[in-house]
Amino acid sequence: MPLPLPVILWLSIALIAVSQVMILRSTVRAMRAAASEQARRGIEWAYAVVPVIVLVLVLVATWDASQAHTTRLELEAKASQTSAP
Amino acid sequence: MTAPAAALREPSLARDLIALTKPRIISLLLLTTLAPMFVAGSPSWATILWTGIGGYLMAGGANAVNMYLDRDIDHVMARTRLRPIPSGRMAARAVLAFGIAIATAATWLLGHFVNVLTAALALAGFYFYVFVYTRWLKRTTPQNIVLGGAAGAFPPLVGWAAVTGRVDLASIYLFLIIFYWTPPHFWALALLKQRDYGKAGVPMAPNIWGEHETIDQMLWYTLLLLALSILPVTFGVFGAFYLVSALVLGSILLRGVWIIRSLAAKGESWIPDAWKVYKYSLLYLALLFVAMAVDRHL
Repeated sequence: MPLPLPVILWLSIALIAVSQVMILRSTVRAMRAAASEQARRGIEWAYAVVPVIVLVLVLVATWDASQAHTTRLELEAKASQTSAP
Repeated sequence: MTAPAAALREPSLARDLIALTKPRIISLLLLTTLAPMFVAGSPSWATILWTGIGGYLMAGGANAVNMYLDRDIDHVMARTRLRPIPSGRMAARAVLAFGIAIATAATWLLGHFVNVLTAALALAGFYFYVFVYTRWLKRTTPQNIVLGGAAGAFPPLVGWAAVTGRVDLASIYLFLIIFYWTPPHFWALALLKQRDYGKAGVPMAPNIWGEHETIDQMLWYTLLLLALSILPVTFGVFGAFYLVSALVLGSILLRGVWIIRSLAAKGESWIPDAWKVYKYSLLYLALLFVAMAVDRHL
């Protein structure tokens, strides 16, 4: 049975988005509670945001690669149907 | 203890030099270097051998230089006070020279016997660990091991490049899996060693943010890791065997962190469960990488 690739893709992306938002919320909460100075907060915020930017870029590349993979699978399936006796 | 057994535990220069490389930690780094080689293709025995030796020496060199840079705090923490420098068995400069020497040897071995990209990536991992993590992040931010986790995530890139001569999306995923595995893994230990880190002045998340916020983030990082670990399936790198393995292994880790969170919320002791999560997280990473290699050859 073929794997439901689009379902896996979008479910994973949704979980990643929710998790990342919760991580950022928790970081902001922690920074406020730690009563750090403004400049320090800016640096801590940057540390938290850098991985998010990288992750977004990787997810865009994943979407592209996933589309290409799905198209390839469909073409292979069609080719095997037409070559069947 | 019998005389031969006692002799085996006697400190010696050879034993100290091996201890400087942190061989137990390196065994997991080596697994995450070698398993991706079998995901990337069918490496020759020579490539496996040279990548393994080069990887060990580079990581060992980074660990030795780390011990040199942390010599002022290692004697404070129970976990590190028996290391060769704080215990007085080795001079600090000798440790630094040893670390640089074996890292240099690793760069040459990888560049000469594997390829230049592999050597460059391994060296980048060395520099990241020594300068970005140890010198910059470790003592300045509670997010030290979040960004610093990238240092431990270089091995899959090294293994992948050794076989393919390039870095692509699949190898970046292997990097990210280790990157996002590091916070729940390391914070489980940091929760248990709060007093040690506090004495040494290292701003670990539990000491600065508190236990509740750290455990909360462990949970979200674990969920993110679980979702991220199954994404390579969507573009055909792995199949059903890996998908099921990643879901099962990740769910066990998630359950462990959830138990810590529930106990902490109820004000009950979570210490034994933090130990379990710390130990299981090591097994999780090892089994996940084994599952990757197995899946590619099914």
